[in-house]
Amino acid sequence: MEGERKAGRSVVLDANPSSVLDFESFAEGLDFLSPVERHRVMIAGGEILDNLIREASPMDRRKLRVRVTRRRGSVLLAFYFRSPGFAAFSAGSLEFEPLFDHLDRRWRGLGLLMCRNLARRIAFRPGELLDRIFLEFDRQL
Amino acid sequence: MTQLDITVHSDHHRLLLLVSGPINSYTFTDFQEKVYKAIAQADTAVDMERVTALSSAGIGVIMTAMEDAETSGHGFAIVNPSEIVKLALDSTGFGASFPLVKTLKQV
Repeated sequence: MEGERKAGRSVVLDANPSSVLDFESFAEGLDFLSPVERHRVMIAGGEILDNLIREASPMDRRKLRVRVTRRRGSVLLAFYFRSPGFAAFSAGSLEFEPLFDHLDRRWRGLGLLMCRNLARRIAFRPGELLDRIFLEFDRQL
Repeated sequence: MTQLDITVHSDHHRLLLLVSGPINSYTFTDFQEKVYKAIAQADTAVDMERVTALSSAGIGVIMTAMEDAETSGHGFAIVNPSEIVKLALDSTGFGASFPLVKTLKQV
């Protein structure tokens, strides 16, 4: 359908912990999204990015690309990268329930629960040449 | 805003933490340290009006602080949360469990 103009923006991030800050700056600048959509992208995207950097590193070239597009009635957030550890990481990740780690006094799995509640759909797509994660959000005015 | 800034004020045997900036996996340790320390000492209110991001790491600190407050017998409240803070807390599925108030007078 050509009735609505498609908008999108991309950023290439270093695969290190401080890239969460760069991602937040990127998300704040997505002026084709409503404030609520921006917040959803920022929260869920930050969680995915944090998990990738902690659990699926090292990544090839230590970089990953993030793209956000508006499509008809939804917003799509996509991560593109290549990580030998991603297939193992992604297997079963979405079924993981939050657990409190008493040793570190931290909740594990809470971020993915938040992503599941914020996004309409999440897909982990390991590939031979490129790994991808897609999150689709409902349109929010 | 990429820096997390936390200032602690003492007010009638109660501690008020004014937080501005993002609470994420990169910055949450400062938030964690100051909140846990405050809860151990006195009733604590955390003003989150100027928080620009809140990740699961920050929410985990809040959840643990709620338990610590109960154990120590001190009060704990989140004052005037920003829209993104409210959305992040709601996205856990148990947003109603968090002690949110609009003004410091309600603490």
